[in-house]
Amino acid sequence: MTLTSPHLINEVGDLLKSSVSEVFSTTLNMKTQPVALYDLRESDEMLIAGSVGFVGDVSGVVYIYVKASFARTLASRMLGMPESECGEDEMVNDVMGELSNMIVGSTKSLICDSGAACVLTIPSIIRGQNLSAKPVCLSEGLLLSIVSEDEPILLELIMKPLEETKN
Amino acid sequence: MSPKILSIDDSKAVRMIVQRAFRPYDCTICEASNGEEGLAVAANEKPDLILLDITMPVMDGVAMLAALKKNPELKDIPVIMLTAEHGRENVANIVSLGVRDYLVKPFKDEQIVEKAQGVLPLQPKPVAVAA
Repeated sequence: MTLTSPHLINEVGDLLKSSVSEVFSTTLNMKTQPVALYDLRESDEMLIAGSVGFVGDVSGVVYIYVKASFARTLASRMLGMPESECGEDEMVNDVMGELSNMIVGSTKSLICDSGAACVLTIPSIIRGQNLSAKPVCLSEGLLLSIVSEDEPILLELIMKPLEETKN
Repeated sequence: MSPKILSIDDSKAVRMIVQRAFRPYDCTICEASNGEEGLAVAANEKPDLILLDITMPVMDGVAMLAALKKNPELKDIPVIMLTAEHGRENVANIVSLGVRDYLVKPFKDEQIVEKAQGVLPLQPKPVAVAA
């Protein structure tokens, strides 16, 4: 597979959806399903976003938004323990960071296999309501919605256009 | 004496998953959250196997592996690298570091046990007999 400039963000978006499906299936034994766009950030729910970037021939950042209550469910599934035993926010943050790292790591590997070298950034976690990410440089954005067990997951992909990345 | 496995990962969640995976087996798991801590624990505990994450703060897995290989007392401890990146180039880099094996995250419990069994003879934990 070769990533091509005009459709780069859509191609990386497809890789991202595939990575989410793989990671949720392997780590959490949960299926995911792409759905029509639902911008979870516009709800008044408390959200958690895991974020990991990739920098190199192709550069961008991925935000994975879920409801805080669903993040606790994910932590419970990943650790194989009841939600009540998942402790305070620290453990939920840790799980969201690791899931984000696996998802974007898998996507990054697929990008590298297409011939574009890049490295991952360290995962970070954001908590709050009505979150939004605004890049400071010229960039493209793509929002993708998926559901898992009826819970919405919003993927936000922000990328530098290929020409700008290479300069 | 039961084999000792050192799990080094900055994610507590991953360390808990490793603990869970090996719970049915007669082995001891010790932990560290970065390469620097890992070297100290390895020197104290002399583990039979190290499960080593690559991307960690303070000292990453690659730097720790290099330090381990320079230490005459620790250099022969087999290492299995854990990585979130399965790309061809990344895998080639890992193999060139002199690790015994590698495992791509996400992994299932049985996959990490299977990798460890390729290095260590792991026996199921003896069943406790009620008095």
